[in-house]
Amino acid sequence: MNIIKIATISLRNLLRNSRRTLITVLVSAAGFAALAILAGYMDFSFYGLRELTVCKGFTAGGGTGHIQVFHSESLKKEELFPMQYGVEDNEKIRADIESIDEVSFTMPRIEFNGLISNGDKSISFLGLGVDPEKEAELIQYWNSLEKMGGKKKMSDTAYRKLEKTGSFGVLLGQQMAKALNAEAGSNLMLMSTTVDGAVNVVDVTVAGVIRGAMKSIDRHYLVAPLETAMSLLQTDKVSKIVVVLKRTEDTAVVSRLIEENIHGQDDQPMFSVIPWEELAAYYYSVRDVYNIIFSFTGIIVVAIVFLSCTNTMLMATMERVKEIGTLKAIGVSNAWVSLMFLFEGFFIGLLSVAGGLVFKYVFSVVINNSGFKMPPPPGMSSSYLLKIFSAVEFLPWIALLIVFSTTLSGLLTLLKIRKISIVDSLTHV
Amino acid sequence: MKNNIIAELVEVSKYYGTGTGRMVALDCVDLSLAKGEAVVLVGPSGSGKSTLLHLLGCIDKQDKGRVIIDGVDTSAKSLEELASLRLDKIGFVFQSFNLIPVLTAYENVEIPLLFKGLGNSFVKDRVNEVLDSVGLYDRKHHYPRQMSGGQQQRVAIARAIVGNPSLILADEPTANLDSRTGGDILDLLLHLNKNEERSVFVASHDSVVLERIKKVVRILDGKISID
Ligand SMILES: Nc1ncnc2c1ncn2[C@@H]1O[C@H](COP(=O)(O)OP(=O)(O)OP(=O)(O)O)[C@@H](O)[C@H]1O
Ligand SMILES: [Mg+2]
Repeated sequence: MNIIKIATISLRNLLRNSRRTLITVLVSAAGFAALAILAGYMDFSFYGLRELTVCKGFTAGGGTGHIQVFHSESLKKEELFPMQYGVEDNEKIRADIESIDEVSFTMPRIEFNGLISNGDKSISFLGLGVDPEKEAELIQYWNSLEKMGGKKKMSDTAYRKLEKTGSFGVLLGQQMAKALNAEAGSNLMLMSTTVDGAVNVVDVTVAGVIRGAMKSIDRHYLVAPLETAMSLLQTDKVSKIVVVLKRTEDTAVVSRLIEENIHGQDDQPMFSVIPWEELAAYYYSVRDVYNIIFSFTGIIVVAIVFLSCTNTMLMATMERVKEIGTLKAIGVSNAWVSLMFLFEGFFIGLLSVAGGLVFKYVFSVVINNSGFKMPPPPGMSSSYLLKIFSAVEFLPWIALLIVFSTTLSGLLTLLKIRKISIVDSLTHV
Repeated sequence: MKNNIIAELVEVSKYYGTGTGRMVALDCVDLSLAKGEAVVLVGPSGSGKSTLLHLLGCIDKQDKGRVIIDGVDTSAKSLEELASLRLDKIGFVFQSFNLIPVLTAYENVEIPLLFKGLGNSFVKDRVNEVLDSVGLYDRKHHYPRQMSGGQQQRVAIARAIVGNPSLILADEPTANLDSRTGGDILDLLLHLNKNEERSVFVASHDSVVLERIKKVVRILDGKISID
């Protein structure tokens, strides 16, 4: 009951110097908004990075999909010859995996390497044997992500061209095409070692030129249909099975299901099931960097909010010295008196959160509809559309941080209030 | 005899400043106040009236001597203990009323009771009763700025007596009021304490006060003499 009365007094005191209160609230609201917007941007970045990893990838390996299934030995030992630890009978395993509800589709991939030549010049390549139709489907998965909301969709025409060109078409990285003086329709040769250790050559036709997410990869990047890779290596195994889910959130659950249900002969755990984030070490580094940036910004914002609010509180105690002295003379303890200020800080915090939410909302709407583009991040090849996500799960924590710092500055008035001498304050005019 | 005394100063001295600049505000003062007694403290400006009241009210510390309130020696008490002693035993009335501007008359009067752990309905009844006795029941929702000086001082008196203290200390309670209103205020103070064992100690050089209170304590340069 007393608490409510004291809270009412605090509210009235806030209205007493409404302009000062407003300024303090604006400062803290701006602090809340800054952190909320940063969180929204981080959320967007993580999400974008995650889905881009899944759909396109940042390495010559292409989009990681959500989960990859390998022969368990392939991750432990060096192969003595190509595809020694490849996955056999991939259709059957894929059918098993596809029977899981959360799985959208699966696709086989072969990783191979060798030399590519135009007759005059040979350069080494990192090749990816794929099912072009399925790879195109993975791109469509990206395009279906509503949260990215990009007007500029990712194009799957390269894979469509590869499909059309037939089994001996290839897609070349931009830099590689340049180095080999090749363009769509050019005839080239792929050279590699077969699973038996013999050298094999196949003739291929350039179906198109593609751009990897990272510039450095382009020069050695090559995509061929699965059949081309299989006939070059003389194998019917694949390097891995890529699993694409309906929703990225199900990755952990489905990983477990695959691990539990897909076995080799005699129920031996023959497969390693690797979720996308383990295939993308950079995802964690980027996360760490962002988290550090966020923490620093958080500290700065909290410091500003705290100092601004503390300043307001101290001014308020100075203005109300006589009232404070009177209350103390009556016999109200220092703690009760400063509780009044604590409530004032608390209410300033609440008002700031409310105002900050409005700021954040308006800012997000403006940014998200402005089509504002961010320049390509270091090492990346394309710019991207800036979005601020709602970051709902972060907002309560940011709110807590702001309310805590304003409340703390209210509490700190206790130090000042203790020092106010009753006699001096009564003679104060 | 002893338990008839509500407040007592024993060889109390109070100094301001130190060294050569030291100034004696109270000089070895002995004074005792009986329960139910009304006393006026008179003396020229700067003679030490307020200082004496502050010591009696336990809001300041003497440099020498002892201050005894209702049989309790306050010298060794902590600040918290003194605060709760004030809450229970002492009511203050100030020259400039000292009401809390953001609170209504009712809420101002309520303050001392809020910190005593009393029941809601008891508090409500008591505040209304006291407001009624100072004649401001119909003004209870008014804020200080909506009231005249005399009305504000009535609210302050209500606040001082609401907790049923044994000692009311008033420092120049009429100085900010015209003489008629001042007279009314003093009548009120005395009336409210006539039949209760409540002592009233008023510092003043206002003739309005001197006319009404028989027992006079004079103070000059920190020394007192009793008529
Ligand atoms: N905080 C202080 N510091 C230094 N000297 C003080 C202080 N407070 C009071 N004094 C001095 O102590 C003496 C007594 O002051 P006090 O306020 O008790 O006088 P008073 O009788 O109440 O005067 P008035 O009628 O003007 O209110 C005065 O000479 C005053 O200057
Ligand atoms: Mg005085």
